[in-house]
Amino acid sequence: MSLSPVEGVALAEIESPDEGDDSGRTEFVGRSPGQLALARLKRDRTALISGGLLAFFVLVALAVPLIEALYGVGPKEQFQNRLDGYGMPLGYAGGVTGEHWFGLEPGLGRDIFIRMVHGLRTSLFIAFAAAVLTAVIGVTLGTLAGYLGGWLDTVINWITDLTLAMPFLIIALALMPTVALRFYGQREAVPAYFQIGVLIAIFALFGWTGTARLVRGQIIALREREFVEAARASGAGLGHMLFRQLLPNAWAPILVAFSLAVPQYITSEAALSFIGVGLTDETPSFGRMIYRSLDYLQTDPAYVFFPGITIFALVFAFNLFGDALRDALDPKSSR
Amino acid sequence: MRPRAAAAAGGAIALVVALGACSENTGEGTTVDTNRQQAGVIATDPKDSQGPAAEIDGAAKGGTFTIIRETPISHLDPQRTYSFAGLMASPLFARYLTTWKDDGKGGLVLVGDLAENPGKNVDNDCKVWEFTIKDGVKFEDGSPITSKEIAYGIARSFDPDLTGGPTYIQEWLADTAQYDTKWDFKQNKTSLPPGLTTPDAKTLRFEFAKPRCDLPFAVSLPTTAPLKPEKDTGVNLDQKPFSSGPYKIAKNQVGVQLTLDRNPNWDAKTDPVRHQYPDQFVWSFGPTADAANNRVIADNGADQSALAFNSVPASLVAKVAGDPALKPRTLLSPTPSANQLVINTQRVKDLKIRQALNYAIDREGLVKALGGQTVAQPITTLMPPSTIGYKAYDAYPAGANGNVEKAKELLGGQTPELVLGVADNTTEQAEAVQLKGNLERAGFKITVRNIPDDAKLDEIKKKDNPWDLYIGNWAADWPSGASILPVLYDGRTIKAEGNSNQSYFNDDAINAEMDRILALPPSEQGPEWGKLDERIMKEHAPVVPLYVDVAYNVHGSRAGGVFISSVFGYPNFVNAYVKQ
Repeated sequence: MSLSPVEGVALAEIESPDEGDDSGRTEFVGRSPGQLALARLKRDRTALISGGLLAFFVLVALAVPLIEALYGVGPKEQFQNRLDGYGMPLGYAGGVTGEHWFGLEPGLGRDIFIRMVHGLRTSLFIAFAAAVLTAVIGVTLGTLAGYLGGWLDTVINWITDLTLAMPFLIIALALMPTVALRFYGQREAVPAYFQIGVLIAIFALFGWTGTARLVRGQIIALREREFVEAARASGAGLGHMLFRQLLPNAWAPILVAFSLAVPQYITSEAALSFIGVGLTDETPSFGRMIYRSLDYLQTDPAYVFFPGITIFALVFAFNLFGDALRDALDPKSSR
Repeated sequence: MRPRAAAAAGGAIALVVALGACSENTGEGTTVDTNRQQAGVIATDPKDSQGPAAEIDGAAKGGTFTIIRETPISHLDPQRTYSFAGLMASPLFARYLTTWKDDGKGGLVLVGDLAENPGKNVDNDCKVWEFTIKDGVKFEDGSPITSKEIAYGIARSFDPDLTGGPTYIQEWLADTAQYDTKWDFKQNKTSLPPGLTTPDAKTLRFEFAKPRCDLPFAVSLPTTAPLKPEKDTGVNLDQKPFSSGPYKIAKNQVGVQLTLDRNPNWDAKTDPVRHQYPDQFVWSFGPTADAANNRVIADNGADQSALAFNSVPASLVAKVAGDPALKPRTLLSPTPSANQLVINTQRVKDLKIRQALNYAIDREGLVKALGGQTVAQPITTLMPPSTIGYKAYDAYPAGANGNVEKAKELLGGQTPELVLGVADNTTEQAEAVQLKGNLERAGFKITVRNIPDDAKLDEIKKKDNPWDLYIGNWAADWPSGASILPVLYDGRTIKAEGNSNQSYFNDDAINAEMDRILALPPSEQGPEWGKLDERIMKEHAPVVPLYVDVAYNVHGSRAGGVFISSVFGYPNFVNAYVKQ
């Protein structure tokens, strides 16, 4: 449930003494709901660790050019002289050496570490961009539908149902090659940013419905509350109603939905690459990498291990952080 | 608690996988016999066509030989047999006019099977051919096989209901691709197609409107299996073909299991290639390639005398190749299925660029990218080494990894921008990455465009397709240059769609040379095709020869005599036996 300003103040009063004030002074500390949530988050070890891990991943993704320069190997460079006659990496654990920290890909002989770092950037960018887009679309439509109601609510609900009914996979399968053909013909190179853009667009097109419904429900519950009615009675305009009165009180579920959408898009990107509608092999991505590695589960497990454990850690950290965030923003719902 | 348990589980998985990865790969393993020199000929000595076939060392009679395959054989009816599994199963219960004596090492001789010799070119113009049928050849019911039954077999292949088989002989006799409209089998069951006659019970005569010098090869396909008209059950013959070979159908549980018993009326003295060692052959259908290979590797019970018909899957290759105990139980051999980087000569008109591509190619790297020497073997010629008259040469010698400097020198500083069209399947995607990296090192600029997998073949067969390079494959129906070079490089056959000449190469001098060779007697054509092969590559370089597919199969410890057919590249069972 949402926190009204009144509730926030009440909670601040209850929780402030445990800040280690032994002297017995009962001075009231005024805190906003946001500060309260942050304080709760800081006390949660799971949140700290998963948050730290996420920060690390984001940092790595941002520092790709720097890492590449320091590491001295590019994502497209091939080291086939370090493969045996079957295309399997020589040496231990899939060719792990001082130069190739995570070994080499069987067959093509590309460096797994630098491809993973690049893949991390691609995957995180796609997931964040898609999550932000879906949140924006979902929040806008959900708020409008919930607050204004009437025919607009009916139309938006109808569009939401229609979008939910559309088969995501089939449309993604049909759309990707067609769009590429439309913009780049049959001979021009399809640049990576275009493929990434199409992927984000497809995710946004299909992903906003959940957020929209969630926000609409929240807004409907809020719009009859006294403080909203009071604002309306004072003659507040639509913008003030939406951005000053309603949205600030619906932040918690939106943030949680966002934090859960990011890992979902990371895995979706991997899943789409599985069926060949995601990125091409030229753009390093986690999905492609894991897809290719599965064939070598028996013969080169190290190839499956490194990208597998990374995407596992990434998605796991995101989910844990999402959970912790929800607990922090809405402490009444858990335990 | 929940997150902690999940983390523990994740950690445990990680540990197991990490331990599994900790053994050193030193790069030792199986190597493919690369010097498989083919010396195929057409038998001139009548003794070659006579039985019995030479005994196999160590072969013993008795036992049950099992063949495990993922999918059922599409057709058992000889006139409808064209799939590789069908072509390998068929010789067990069907005999043809001619057949290949194959030593499994590339030595191929075309011999008479039911015929006393591989055909007589009556007027030396390849238009009239005569086959004399052997004495003492019998069906499974003991009745003699004469030219009438062979002719009936060919006649029923004109029936439009009996789809799936090769159509060479029908098209040549009718002199049109719409052979079933020219001569209607259902209306004329008692007569024979135009041009096919049986002057007497021992003679079968073909008369063609145009020279058909490849006829002795074409009649080695199962179209020429004999059948008695009263035993013809039409489409139902697919369930239980009437045998003329060393085995007959005992039981056929369609899609599950096919059991073949010995045919007592088959006479070894008439057969130059087949043996009758096991009591029984069992084709067992259903297990996936992984399951079948794992079963055969485990080598338990009945699987000891079994063979997995599906090649060792990529996921098991390193395991099988790395186990020295398995080496005597594996078959590893290059096949005649050849792959090229086809250059669209309509777009890439500059010979220097095509030659530079040939110099730049890194075949060793490509083979590694595909999964290594058990999957592919590099070639530098248009015809695969299993072709009659094959001439080993390398028109653009650049070593195993290509010669980047030589390619750059030919390009003279320019960077040609080429578009490589590839299917969006795993194999071609890997090949595309490999080729792009390889060719860009040599100064090309390569754009990779994906083509949907199921449409790729149709698309590159269109004359005005938009790509400059694509990967092409050709596996001929018989190992003669005539079934490869004119099909792939005769420019006069180019049409709007459905082209086999995918490089759209057209050169008058080469076309004329093909006509000259095609008019030669079949036994003299071989070396001429080899010379033409080299000439096309040296003068025009319409493709970059890449690799031939490699067959890699495992069999049980008691299975013997199986070899990879030099004609089709799949396991051949005419010598198979069960070790006692």
